[in-house]
Amino acid sequence: MEIKTDRFRETVQKELVNPETQKFLSFFPLVLSAMRSATLAGLPDSEAALASAAAIRAEAVERLPELLEEFERNATAAGARVVWARDSEEANRYICDLAREKKVACVTKGKSMVTEEMGLREELEKAGIEVWETDLGEFITQLLGLPPFHIIGPAINVPVETIRDVFLEKAGLEEPTNDPVQLGYAARIFLREKFYRAEMGVTGVNIAVASTGTVINVENEGNIRHCKSGPRIQVSVLSLEKIVPTMRDAFHMLRVLCMCATGQSLGTYASFDTGPRRPGELDGPEELHIVLLDNGRSAAYRNPKTRDALKCIRCAACLSVCPVYGKIGGYPYGWAYSGPMGQVVNPLLLGLDRTEDLYGACTLCQRCKAACPAGIDHPRMLLYYRSRQAEGDSELKGSGAPWSGKALHRFYSAAVRNPALWKAMAKGLRWAANRYEKDGKISRAPGPAEGWFRARDLPRFPDRTFHDRWKEIEKTLERGEKP
Amino acid sequence: MKKVSLFIPCIVDLLLPEIGEATVLLLSRLGLRPVYHEDQTCCGQFSFNTGFRREAARMAVHFLEVFGEDEVVVCPSGSCVNMVRNRYPELLEDEPRWLDRARNLAPRVYELTEFLVGVLKVEDVGAAFSGKVAYHESCSLLNGLGVSEQPKKLLRAVRGAELVPMRDADVCCGFGGEFSSRYPEISEALVAAKAARFLESGADVLVLCEPGCLTNINGYLSRHHPDRKALHMAEFLARNLAS
Repeated sequence: MEIKTDRFRETVQKELVNPETQKFLSFFPLVLSAMRSATLAGLPDSEAALASAAAIRAEAVERLPELLEEFERNATAAGARVVWARDSEEANRYICDLAREKKVACVTKGKSMVTEEMGLREELEKAGIEVWETDLGEFITQLLGLPPFHIIGPAINVPVETIRDVFLEKAGLEEPTNDPVQLGYAARIFLREKFYRAEMGVTGVNIAVASTGTVINVENEGNIRHCKSGPRIQVSVLSLEKIVPTMRDAFHMLRVLCMCATGQSLGTYASFDTGPRRPGELDGPEELHIVLLDNGRSAAYRNPKTRDALKCIRCAACLSVCPVYGKIGGYPYGWAYSGPMGQVVNPLLLGLDRTEDLYGACTLCQRCKAACPAGIDHPRMLLYYRSRQAEGDSELKGSGAPWSGKALHRFYSAAVRNPALWKAMAKGLRWAANRYEKDGKISRAPGPAEGWFRARDLPRFPDRTFHDRWKEIEKTLERGEKP
Repeated sequence: MKKVSLFIPCIVDLLLPEIGEATVLLLSRLGLRPVYHEDQTCCGQFSFNTGFRREAARMAVHFLEVFGEDEVVVCPSGSCVNMVRNRYPELLEDEPRWLDRARNLAPRVYELTEFLVGVLKVEDVGAAFSGKVAYHESCSLLNGLGVSEQPKKLLRAVRGAELVPMRDADVCCGFGGEFSSRYPEISEALVAAKAARFLESGADVLVLCEPGCLTNINGYLSRHHPDRKALHMAEFLARNLAS
């Protein structure tokens, strides 16, 4: 998909005044996070369950190279073909070539953010192959040409009338209806025919198990199971950090993922595939290709300060609690991943230079960190990105702070370390700000703080700072009087 | 008389000195002797949060030089305490000498309500207020320091005051330091929601423990609801002390 991370601000402007977005955001994140809390509360010791999930993710990420090799050995032994792709281009090329070579005319896809990241659908279409998204939400975004609004509910914000209209136009809906059941039925009829014809199924992977070579998907619609069991050829794209050491770990992560993502004890369908169909088995693909996508993840692994980003399990718990996502929704983030997890992941995969607003637009409230079952400290990572950007870190493609920022902070640092200069700065600031004072308040001021004054005032700067007042306060304290 | 060292945030020093005065009054009323190092300035949070770590590290060193030997440091801001306690160790990781001092000082730096309730074991400071009070949970206190019950205990102990619930009390007010002027539209949307929740709560006053949130919320109220106001906890308690 097209990367629009550099259009954050203009998309924010649009979304803040988009009534559909605002209406949706006023209830949906709250509902989702309430469902998560309620399900977790059903566990005898939810804190221990979450801590255990974080420990599994920490181990998985720490041992990533070794676990991936173990996974490759075991998946290969089970009959799968494991392919390592350095970047999206390599992964897309492999899949497109495979489709061409096997004379595939129709591909059905399961919802997967990693294939959104790769832009796989577009590449397959360019290769002349018919591709259908089969997750209802992803199907709607495909028909409408929209990016995902939410990582687990890509079209969750789209009003039913819009869905009705696009189904009438493009998905064989015959009579106009706003009944969700009828609309779901229409999609089912439309997609069933694609499942019949599809010769290749493409899905992501929620969890991969190193000790067995198993790929696991969890879903609620059954479309992924169709994609994985119907077509002759199955391609599973594995974002390489989704690995866990053992099946026992996988079961725990599966439960935690479902609880945190949708507030379910378990999704309706969980599919475990270890290799392709074996002789005597009734269903499953003849060929299973597992594409291990790197696309910047090894680099993130190599730096201990960025490695934590790989812990993410894509549950979207952070989206539901983020105050910023709660006002702007998913589009401004401009790529497959949105909300705090997107703010942590996108800069590593795309570079700090083109994602500045992602790690910038955070109030550091730490709600995401508190909600994360994988143990990610998002604000700490965003602060790290800000520092690498300011320093112009070439590994992370930081472009360096502008001279004005550098000069400001150098001066400020000097003032902080020199109390005489601090006092002079206080005076200068007071003089500069109070020139705009009217009736005891400041309601406008040009320069970098201009934005503040669009909807807010500041009190006038008092004539005497606390420093200036201290001597007197001290005297009253010495006299034993009340200050 | 036990001495406590005052850590006055830069924003309080320059813009809201009355919060500093109220802190002094409260502490002295409780039998403590506040001391103030006049060479203190700023903890460096502003530079750290905007990515200027080299500069922030030098400010942290200055802070440690000023406060490093103190037995107890008290600050009327959660985010400044969060900076010293939770960010200095990362900031100074390459300077072992200062890192040790930072780690050593961290447990002795307290946010005001954390100190009053947790260390002094005081809930009733002797204040009286007839009216309804709402409490805003500032993010650095709640999620950074785990301070949430302490301020509410102080408010419940104010004679005549009724602590009323406010929806989304634990949702960010949209300040975020530089965030507020860099992303004014998002910041405004958040502070407008916060103001609406305050009005809807029916409280006479909104109390909080963070000068940054206070400036933000009052900045918005001043423009849109000039008859309503938020107050810093120190000021709210100090103003309503029985004489």
